[in-house]
Amino acid sequence: MKGSLTQSMSWLHTWCGLLLGWMLFAIFLTGTLAVFDKEINWWMQPELSDQALSPAAAANVAQRWLAERHPDETNWNISLPTARAPDLAVSVGERRRGGGGVTHLDPLSGATVEPRETIGGNFFFHFHYTLHLPRTLGVWVVGFAAMAMLVALISGIIIHKKIFKEFFTFRPAKGQRSWLDAHNASAVLLLPFHLMITYTGLAIFFLLYMPAAVNALYDGDRQAYFRDAQSGRAAEQAPRGEGRGSKAVSAPAAPLLPLSEIVGRAEAHYGQGMIGSLAVSNPGRANAQVTARPVLGNRIELSKGEGMVFDGVSGKLIQAPEPSRTSQLTQRVMAGLHFAQFGGYPMRWLYFICGLISCAMIGTGLVLYAVKQRKQAKANAQFLRVVESLNVAVVAGLLLACITLLWANRLLPAELAARQNWELRLFFGVWALSWLHAWLRKPLSAWREQLLAAALLALALPALDLWSAQDTLDVMRLSLLASVASMGLLLGWTVWKIPTVIAARNARSARLDRPAAGASS
Amino acid sequence: MNGSALFASLLLTYAGMLGFCLGKERHWKQLVNPHVPTGLRRLCAPFGGLLLGLAIYASCQVWPGGMAVVGWFGLISLAGFALLLLLPYAPRLALSLPLLGGLVWAAAALT
Repeated sequence: MKGSLTQSMSWLHTWCGLLLGWMLFAIFLTGTLAVFDKEINWWMQPELSDQALSPAAAANVAQRWLAERHPDETNWNISLPTARAPDLAVSVGERRRGGGGVTHLDPLSGATVEPRETIGGNFFFHFHYTLHLPRTLGVWVVGFAAMAMLVALISGIIIHKKIFKEFFTFRPAKGQRSWLDAHNASAVLLLPFHLMITYTGLAIFFLLYMPAAVNALYDGDRQAYFRDAQSGRAAEQAPRGEGRGSKAVSAPAAPLLPLSEIVGRAEAHYGQGMIGSLAVSNPGRANAQVTARPVLGNRIELSKGEGMVFDGVSGKLIQAPEPSRTSQLTQRVMAGLHFAQFGGYPMRWLYFICGLISCAMIGTGLVLYAVKQRKQAKANAQFLRVVESLNVAVVAGLLLACITLLWANRLLPAELAARQNWELRLFFGVWALSWLHAWLRKPLSAWREQLLAAALLALALPALDLWSAQDTLDVMRLSLLASVASMGLLLGWTVWKIPTVIAARNARSARLDRPAAGASS
Repeated sequence: MNGSALFASLLLTYAGMLGFCLGKERHWKQLVNPHVPTGLRRLCAPFGGLLLGLAIYASCQVWPGGMAVVGWFGLISLAGFALLLLLPYAPRLALSLPLLGGLVWAAAALT
């Protein structure tokens, strides 16, 4: 009975892991990059510069600009400079931050700045949970992949016979043995991370994946559920909704308090530099209200949408943030664990490196399948070719496409119309070509050439920036370049290591290892 | 952010994982001088556990409350993974790293 359980779990692990592994690698890699989404955004818009102005002073600059150009609008939105996104941006109307119509301001002079249009680091973030499909479909597909990941993790634990005995075992340059060691060790040592990130990823979209309870209790009225789940939010929304529309015009004129005042009061609650954005309704009227929203990250809980509402004329606090109720808190803590907005840069780097090792775990699993199949005489050669070319295209090709995106951001003319679309075309174009290349070349050559191309592009990126855009380089942009170059070194080392590994193995035993040589990257 | 405490938690998690590693016969033979009495091997795992316990205290100096636990788990995993990579390529360094790191930490703390 034991044997049959292991066998069936092994079958499950293989097929779940292989068929969804390609998708999972793309999800994990883009998710890992999305840990630094704002930093990538910042690097991708070199026209913006960090003026190190305090959020309070920046709020006044934005207020002056808005009062001059848009005195009659009913809603102003201001996104303040923060540690991770040191730019000042404003928009009017109901648009949310990041949507169209955002104007960037120089925080010192208040002059408008026109940065290049770019898909930015946000692309990795959106790709991570939608795979660039239509949103709902994408979320479902990614959810399906995440379920497969959980199945693969659990079945992997069951079929791993020596979890504790081989806890620290890695024997490099031994063909299939090494691939299995690397796959096992990266899975076992980071098991808490793998389980946590997969499970919490599923928990984010609980309403989409498991709507039955809310539908039954609230008769399908999602808004009613949200109102119940968080009483504070509902109260906050009510006065704002009332203030909009025709009534707003009828309210008498009254001067808006300097917004620095509001920022100061909100900072007293949330902490210095913790206010990310302001939303002003009915500016210049007696019923003006200002909502100050914190940047995420002073606790694990994902506090999106939370804020303090102030009276815009008197500065009186109207609505303080309320702690979430237990059920809501549970879900938000899980979402927060996934979004990794807490704990500052050390925590961000922990998540980033853990994510990279997760990618390595998935990648080694994919290669392991090909290495095993190649040894079997009865393997289906056509299917193996599909697997090997997809392995190269998904692992090496996606790395290449990501670094291409960074290059495209720099090389495409800044004033190009529909620039984001060109960035997307280049990203997906290079990715598609990488698959074609992998299909036409022998697996080993395809691996080496694509990894080498990615390594060279990553290593050359700092040179490009130092040559063409050195006056835009600040600490954040330099750190990004340094990180990209380190990745380039890592990839280059891998490429450089391939021939040595193969030579050593061939010398040792030609009989066993010739079939496995193809994927030793 | 408390850099000294972060470095200390990283060192302690690494040393703790090294303790668990030395508790296994295969790695004991690989890393430790054969003259050292093998009875000491049994002490390695409990000692490693103790160091991991200290690491959570250090982690609490870096992050508040729950975040410290998340960071502690992450550091343990990464320290274990680093140890895994060092073992075949630089076994001596793998063994002496806690000592070297401890000296660096002490030097930085004193200055």
